[in-house]
Amino acid sequence: MTTGPIAGTDLDGIDRRTLLKTVGGSALAVALAGCTELLQGEDDSLEDADVPDEPIESGLQTFTEGAPAVLGVQAQYGAETAVRRINENGGIAGREMNLDVVEEGGAYLVNYQQFVDEGKDVTFGPISSSGHAEMVPEIEEQGVVNVSTDGTVTTLYEEDFPDVTYSFRFQNHDVMEALAAVNQAVEVLGADEIDTYAGINPGYAFGQDEMELFSQGIEQLTGAEQVHSGFPDLGTDDMSTHITEINGEEPDVVFSSCWGGDATLLLEQGHANGMFDNIELLVGTVLYGSANDMSADLVDGPIYSGSRNFYWGEPSIDRWSPAAELVDEVQSEYGVVPTAHFMSGYGAVTAWATAAEKAVGLLGRWPEQEEIATILENHGFFTPAGYHTIGPDHQGYSNAHFGELTWSDERDAAALADVNVFSAESVSPPPGETSGDWIGSW
Amino acid sequence: MSRFLVDRDGETHVRLLEGMELTKGQTVLAAAGLVLLFLVPDITRFTGLSFTAIHRGILFGLAAVGLNLLLRHTELVSFGHAAFFGVGAYGAAVLASHFDVSSGLLLLLGGVLAATTIAVLVGYFVAGYLDIYFALLTLAFNQVLYAFVLQSSYFNYSDGLSVRPDGLNPPTLFGLEWTSAGYDLILYYFTVVVLVVSLLVMWKLINSPFGRALDAIGQNRTRARFVGIPVEKYVWVAFVISGIYGGLAGGLFALLQLHVSPDPTLYAFVSGEILFMAILGGFGTLVGPVIGGVVLVYLLVQAPFYVEYYNALTGLTLVAVVLFLPEGILGSIPKIGTGLARRRRDPGLLREDVTAIGSSLRQSVTRAVTTVRIIVFGVN
Repeated sequence: MTTGPIAGTDLDGIDRRTLLKTVGGSALAVALAGCTELLQGEDDSLEDADVPDEPIESGLQTFTEGAPAVLGVQAQYGAETAVRRINENGGIAGREMNLDVVEEGGAYLVNYQQFVDEGKDVTFGPISSSGHAEMVPEIEEQGVVNVSTDGTVTTLYEEDFPDVTYSFRFQNHDVMEALAAVNQAVEVLGADEIDTYAGINPGYAFGQDEMELFSQGIEQLTGAEQVHSGFPDLGTDDMSTHITEINGEEPDVVFSSCWGGDATLLLEQGHANGMFDNIELLVGTVLYGSANDMSADLVDGPIYSGSRNFYWGEPSIDRWSPAAELVDEVQSEYGVVPTAHFMSGYGAVTAWATAAEKAVGLLGRWPEQEEIATILENHGFFTPAGYHTIGPDHQGYSNAHFGELTWSDERDAAALADVNVFSAESVSPPPGETSGDWIGSW
Repeated sequence: MSRFLVDRDGETHVRLLEGMELTKGQTVLAAAGLVLLFLVPDITRFTGLSFTAIHRGILFGLAAVGLNLLLRHTELVSFGHAAFFGVGAYGAAVLASHFDVSSGLLLLLGGVLAATTIAVLVGYFVAGYLDIYFALLTLAFNQVLYAFVLQSSYFNYSDGLSVRPDGLNPPTLFGLEWTSAGYDLILYYFTVVVLVVSLLVMWKLINSPFGRALDAIGQNRTRARFVGIPVEKYVWVAFVISGIYGGLAGGLFALLQLHVSPDPTLYAFVSGEILFMAILGGFGTLVGPVIGGVVLVYLLVQAPFYVEYYNALTGLTLVAVVLFLPEGILGSIPKIGTGLARRRRDPGLLREDVTAIGSSLRQSVTRAVTTVRIIVFGVN
């Protein structure tokens, strides 16, 4: 199942100008898309623009310490990589970019306010859904554009803040990955073969939301019955009671949105207790986010995982080389394989930078916050992960990937095989409709 | 002497309230503190200090003032005071998000009532316990509340609740809708008034017969019982009052943050922070916990913008306070002042200080070497 917007482009079969047009018309857009070989001098329209000389000041809040740093540091690397590429290619309409990074833990609002007080031109982050929800009204009051790297809670723009101006998020929201998992399970086993399902999800809002969405989706498609739903604490050191329950019930599908250390623990204890002999399939939306922490024996079994918005093998590297180039660059710079959360940081910066430069091209001067915000609505842009859009509802949309968890000797990390690509419109409601209503209408 | 000036021990004191008499120095300090509090919005505008961080610090400091009633007078260490702070905050948030109550003062009242109810219940169960048992019980109740909120869809799990009755705008204050900047300013001045009144009430309380009884309970429960003090009842009442302060601070915190989630309000670490604030500022003083609140909140939320290893900074501050300022920032000022005055009169003392520090270091090294020798060889 491969649908949706053009995700890959044959670089050998397309002329420079056409590609430049495709990615947004500027060398910066090309650089951020990762097509480094196409960079020289295509920005004639920007040269005459009335743009200040001083660098753009930006701030990112992310988890830099503790357990969530598994995600947060990847987002930091991503944002830094995007900023580095921007500066190496002459900045945004000639303006270089500086990035300050600060730990988000529990201080979302204060961090955003401090960034605004410091005169930041744009702010990025946070990772946390609750932090993002807390910030949105403040962002609307302060009027300095914020592009959240994650903050994936489904209700945020659907119900809680349906009409905002300055607040955006790059990341796919929960409904997209939960429904991608549903579709993957149905594709692997067949709807008629799924009679029962269970879940082990982190015991906080994100895990609860993901399980609820998965339940709605799979029951709608297969009529399956839920036989167990467990919510171990975030950062727990024991999931054996849930695994024992699952071994007793032997459900066809187990769904998990565990991430970080919880994801590796689930796989470790699942293997140790024979869980994979008792189930047909484990689908995990963000298991792959722990790619750098997994070992080859952990990924053995019927385990399928999603990579929210980025997996180097998709778009296929023989059609779209930037993804592989990025992986090489990041492995040599930081010694890790970039995952979806890397792309959260990279994509958030890219969304804003390409929109800002597009605005300069249109206006002939540096845009106001409100003008950048207007451009960001319905803004489409490429990254090494393929094509992304920011919807009119301020959500990030891109293809969702799901594949069998396997091992890459080449990268020495967990990888995905037989990747399915689910287009945004196949796993999320159209803007203006809530996910619950949409799933109910299937 | 006039009504406001009284003579005590040959020195003129300023009488603010019945029984509240301050020396001239104390009066000047109190007045300066009050002026400073009212000038905070202007000071932050010109210095780059964070207005919100100071406001947050004052609120946590107010909770620490409440905790200090137990710590200083009954000598009971509560590890669970975030419970009341959190319940106060959630009380306001529930009224705003589930019942669309738009008046800020009603939200605050709701928060205080919720915290009082919880304090009455928890206090009933813990009042008879001492030392570590008291501390662990308060911690346990705190954790039960935290886990309950975290798992409850009514409280929106870890994502928490908004304190914006109409979804986007803050509650009204004094019947009026304010702009964002106006709201922050009015709420701050309201906080200052609440803080000053709360401090005066606390001062009255600890200088009343009830406060003296609490002191007696703290010093020796058995003797306090012998002289006829109903110990458990008094501790219970003190616990409830302490909880009310926490609830008041939490309710105001909800009005300031406009969003309440479990981790910054109810988590056990927050209890530890409130305790640390009281110790940092000086738990032997009335105002010390407020100073401790501002300093610690500033270290926790603003230091990351200036120092990479900001967690180490908090740890080092704790070490420095324990080693060098055991009576806290405010509590140590008289001692530091006296010490400095003596050294101004007699600079030779500075040489003795250096010698004392040197010999203290030498002793520490000797002790460490001895310990290692015992560990390695089994004998000294």
